[in-house]
Amino acid sequence: MINTKNISKTYPSGRGVVNALCNVSFSTPKGATLAIAGKSGSGKTTLLNCLGGLEQPDTGEINCFGIDIHALSKKQLSHFQRQHMGFVFQFGNLLSFLTVEENIAFPLMLNKVLNKKEIKKRISSLLEKVGLSELSSVLPNELSGGEMQRIAFARAISHSPKMLIADEPTANLDTETANKLVQLMFSLAKEENCSIILSTHDQDLIKLADQAIYLFDGRDATNG
Amino acid sequence: MLFWVKTAALFLIRSKRTSVVLTLMVISAVSCLIFLSSLAMGVNDAMIRNSVGLFSGHISGYNIPSNISNKDLSVKGVANVLKRVQLPGFIHVKNKMEMITLIGIDPAQELKSSAFWKKTIKGRFIQEGTNELFISESLSKRLGAVCGDIISFSQQARLEHGFLKKEFVVVGIYKTGISQLDTGISFCDIGTLENKQSVWDAAIFLQDGVDIDMILQEYRNKNLDHNNFKTWKQLMPDLEQLISLNYFSMTIVIIVVFIIVSLGITSAFSIFILKSIREYGIMKVMGMTSKETVFLLCWEVFLLNIVASALGIIVGVLVVLIFQTIGIDLSAYTSHNQYFIVSGVVYPRLTIYSVWLPPLSALLFSLPAAIWPAIMVSRKNAAQILRGA
Repeated sequence: MINTKNISKTYPSGRGVVNALCNVSFSTPKGATLAIAGKSGSGKTTLLNCLGGLEQPDTGEINCFGIDIHALSKKQLSHFQRQHMGFVFQFGNLLSFLTVEENIAFPLMLNKVLNKKEIKKRISSLLEKVGLSELSSVLPNELSGGEMQRIAFARAISHSPKMLIADEPTANLDTETANKLVQLMFSLAKEENCSIILSTHDQDLIKLADQAIYLFDGRDATNG
Repeated sequence: MLFWVKTAALFLIRSKRTSVVLTLMVISAVSCLIFLSSLAMGVNDAMIRNSVGLFSGHISGYNIPSNISNKDLSVKGVANVLKRVQLPGFIHVKNKMEMITLIGIDPAQELKSSAFWKKTIKGRFIQEGTNELFISESLSKRLGAVCGDIISFSQQARLEHGFLKKEFVVVGIYKTGISQLDTGISFCDIGTLENKQSVWDAAIFLQDGVDIDMILQEYRNKNLDHNNFKTWKQLMPDLEQLISLNYFSMTIVIIVVFIIVSLGITSAFSIFILKSIREYGIMKVMGMTSKETVFLLCWEVFLLNIVASALGIIVGVLVVLIFQTIGIDLSAYTSHNQYFIVSGVVYPRLTIYSVWLPPLSALLFSLPAAIWPAIMVSRKNAAQILRGA
């Protein structure tokens, strides 16, 4: 279960203080899919960052699978992220100096749970599932946008996290590639029993999710 | 740990252009400093070689009793011992007379080890077993003597019986530029004077790199009177001081060059790390801790430095070895300098310090360069890094 209670976040900016999030609360069960919808600047990315522990909310509480993640020390939070979270960003954000298979192996190496053989097996299984087995030794700069997102997704779930956070993963893809990626994400996440929290503008994607919340100027406008 | 070393190595290998530029920078810095410090050693060596090689040797022996032979002084580390005897007296030619010290030398041995005969300006150097005389230019002018003239030498101003009186043929005229050698002395074959002397002088030439104090200790062990021996440092305190001054000024130059180079290396490393800050942000998102970030950055800097320094040492040593073989001719700048009297050619010399200090300092200066970006990366949260990148 992922629970958030009254999350608020403000940013100082040249035009004064910006209320990025204002008392946002929701909860979603393990293995469910939650879509966070809203216009640009509505606070979707800030909410995802707070949920992923990448940013600290000013007030409120985020409880992921029984742990208040913002009460953790920096080191504990890093360990929580490497074990239980996976991230997919709008532009893939693959490590440019690592090949596709090295990128997927990175979270596995950080977690030190699998041995070399098991890691190899896991990588080839994931590459097969995302349909990019032939690109295992390719560097990210040789990949197309769609391929990059599929590899980013494979990397995000390689260590079987409890929770996948995806920030507009289809925003830079054409409709066909985006649909394929979404189907792949949803089916693989179900297979791995992983919760997905994603932000999107895409109405089709929102409909596919188990749950959706709408943000407007940092406030939850789902019922508004 | 192996994972971080491998990640750091991949980071460097695949950031080709940046790594190559940084590597070239470290290589040139390290090799330049190796060459500079070797050149400083070479200049000092040249001054010592020129000064001791001209006549006196590394150690000068005075009033050595005739029961001690030059073989007794040829201990381990000594390249050659030149035997010389002195006889004060007068030379007469064409109704002119000059007071001089006639120095009997072994021409063959002098040709091997000393260099004053190279300063011949007219005629040639004396030969063994002959009554030939080698005089300075100033003496030749005062006496009006030229090569081929016959000169009489006696221990008295008047040519009387009972005192040594010898006739010599002037075969060569020299000019060293050193007043002690250019005035008041002339050279002849030792065979013409030896039997008359109860003491002799020695010019002791050492092998390269031999500690002068070790040789003196050897002589003490042989119960030789240490008052009979003087090192070049005692005889030429001005040269010793000049060498110390040269070390001091070269050290300052090297430190200044190094500070400038190090600032360059530090800035280049900082730019290199900051340029890739997005990559560290992504790794942070995946759960890389602050400690691991610092560890990774330090490994990157360390690996690059190790490889670049090794290449820098190879390049630096090769350059020094090339110039050690061919020499650097500075005659145009040293021709009037008494410390380069024999030759203005400098041969750079490598020392342990000149090989290891530059790469060690490059590493010492580069590692702190990784600290600031590492602290910055660890302090910023991943969202800030990714947003700012």
